[in-house]
Amino acid sequence: MTAVIDKGKCNGCELCALYCPLDVIHMEDGIAVIRYPDECWHCGACRQDCAHDAITFQFAPAMLGI
Amino acid sequence: MASILGSETHRLKADVAVIGGGTAGLNTALAAAEAGADVLVVDKAHIQRSGAIAGGIDHFFAYLDTGPSWDTREAYLGWVSRVARGAANIKIHEKVYCDELTAAMERIEKMGVSLHQPDGTILRTQALGQPGPIAINFDGKLLKPKMAFAVKKKHIRVINRVQVSNIYLHNGEFAGFAGYDIRNGDFYEIQSKAVVISTGNTNRMFKSQTGNPFNLWYCPANTGDLHRAAFDAGVELANVEYIRLTIVPKGFSAPGFNAFFGMGGKFVNGLGQQFMQNYHPMGDKAPRNMMVWGALQEVRAGRGPIYVDVRHLSAKDLAHLFLQLGIDKDTLPEFLKAKGYDREGALIELTVSEPMQARPSELCGSGIKIDETCASNVPGLFAAGDASDQMGCLHMCMAGGYAAGKHAARYAAKVAHHAPLPEKALDDERARVFAPLLRKSGMAAGEFENIVRIVATDHFGPYKSEVSLTSAIAKLNGLDHFREDLKANNLHELMRCHEAMNIQSVAKIVAHAALARKESRFVPYHYRSDYPETNEDCCGLVVVRKDGETGVATRFERLHYDA
Ligand SMILES: Cc1cc2nc3c(=O)[nH]c(=O)nc-3n(C[C@H](O)[C@H](O)[C@H](O)COP(=O)(O)OP(=O)(O)OC[C@H]3O[C@@H](n4cnc5c(N)ncnc54)[C@H](O)[C@@H]3O)c2cc1C
Repeated sequence: MTAVIDKGKCNGCELCALYCPLDVIHMEDGIAVIRYPDECWHCGACRQDCAHDAITFQFAPAMLGI
Repeated sequence: MASILGSETHRLKADVAVIGGGTAGLNTALAAAEAGADVLVVDKAHIQRSGAIAGGIDHFFAYLDTGPSWDTREAYLGWVSRVARGAANIKIHEKVYCDELTAAMERIEKMGVSLHQPDGTILRTQALGQPGPIAINFDGKLLKPKMAFAVKKKHIRVINRVQVSNIYLHNGEFAGFAGYDIRNGDFYEIQSKAVVISTGNTNRMFKSQTGNPFNLWYCPANTGDLHRAAFDAGVELANVEYIRLTIVPKGFSAPGFNAFFGMGGKFVNGLGQQFMQNYHPMGDKAPRNMMVWGALQEVRAGRGPIYVDVRHLSAKDLAHLFLQLGIDKDTLPEFLKAKGYDREGALIELTVSEPMQARPSELCGSGIKIDETCASNVPGLFAAGDASDQMGCLHMCMAGGYAAGKHAARYAAKVAHHAPLPEKALDDERARVFAPLLRKSGMAAGEFENIVRIVATDHFGPYKSEVSLTSAIAKLNGLDHFREDLKANNLHELMRCHEAMNIQSVAKIVAHAALARKESRFVPYHYRSDYPETNEDCCGLVVVRKDGETGVATRFERLHYDA
């Protein structure tokens, strides 16, 4: 678990997919998708660049549970 | 010529090429362009948000000459001499940091990022063995995009999403490099009169606290790609024997250490006792390696877990702390909240982070060995930032990155013609780079990388000895044949394959360098159980270079300090 994109809010601007430093986010059918959730660094760049509040973060059970 | 994928090959030329458009690299690009050079920046991510400060940054170390004796160039260099003794070359620091500091601070402000608080004051805190409160707290959340904008405004050419895979010399001098686009598979062959390598340190080499190799303090996209390529081309590396660790929140390897202890948090063990005075006279404001050392000893003695106690902080200071934590790592405050640490009276559990191949102190680097002009031993090849053996942290990457750009431009201006690229080697490289995509079956990059991680962690992550290092090298060499089996299903996985191989190669270099340092220094960053004491005769750099016969040749270069 990682950055999570709300499909309803994403307007397909592509900024997060363009900028993600880990190449984790890709566009699929005009919507940004977290294609490699296990490789998310949680840097929060995508969320900062999203003008539509479409991105939130969920922390993996291993992060919260240990 | 068409690449293996049927996509295009591009051949480009520049006066100065910058490999790695992170903090240092973008300053390099600005300097070289301002000096009149035709500049090209190549980054495996996108310079808008790539590298260490993608999501933000919050401390800038600087002396401001405001009067007190701790606030001077001399006091700063004294700090360097104390906490980076044996790794930092003071002459280089004077040139690449001190001489460039004022301009670097002006540049930050000019880019539209303020080093001041909203009320116009400068807020400074002290931690990490500093002589006084020299860490400027500021809001650097937008520093990276603003730097990218400055580069754009200068019309500097930038190629994003190209992973540089190899570099080439001609008659012993730098000629150019190759890389491929991780989004469309295009192959790049680039000639430049000078190059500056600024690709950061090597991450993902050691096991992480949650088992996920991307849950790291430093940027997981920096995987030593150019440490490996430069080394193979005959470039000397230094300070690579050190294994850096820090103190991070339990569960999330994020920065915060500097803010926690700079704001007056108390480092306590499971018995509620402050323990750092037992390990260093500066207590909770000791250099980072000593904080890690203290934590490791407490846990080993059964007095874990370790915490930062912030219960005594005023509501205002606590609010500033949480704000500051979120500037450095965007998602950290909500993680701490999800853990319940915003409750009154909560102790924040910390842990020792994953090890990493990186500098042993804030005040030096680890990687390509540079001189006072940021030049390596190969004419035309310069280095800056975390990828160099002398620079690290924001202040040095901003200041020293710029210095590297000036020197590279000066060098390029004297070169009449671009050196030719070796055509046969480029053809071989194209085949090598795309090979994992063509295999019908094979090993996934993650599986290979995981074995490297286990070996590195077990044998030198961080404790080491001659036996552990020698057997690590044997095991890492034993993995070589799997490289021919690596399989990628797409370009993203192809990048991960090359990263995994580079991490393995750098791990071998690290182990060789560590064998040569027969003492302990910056414990636990270089803790040799067979040589547990620091030896003044070893006060200097272990310099490593590729050697045809044994693989790695080492030499020692003494460093001198006034104090
Ligand atoms: C989360 C975090 C917070 C920090 N906070 C502070 C702080 O408050 N104060 C401070 O002084 N220091 C801080 N540091 C340290 C400081 O940010 C770094 O030392 C500095 O930013 C490193 O700059 P760099 O240019 O060397 O590397 P980076 O900025 O990481 O740049 C490296 C670049 O190289 C690119 N790259 C890598 N491999 C390749 C390849 N094969 N081909 C092409 N490009 C490649 C990457 O995509 C990246 O853009 C922090 C570090 C982190 C990770």
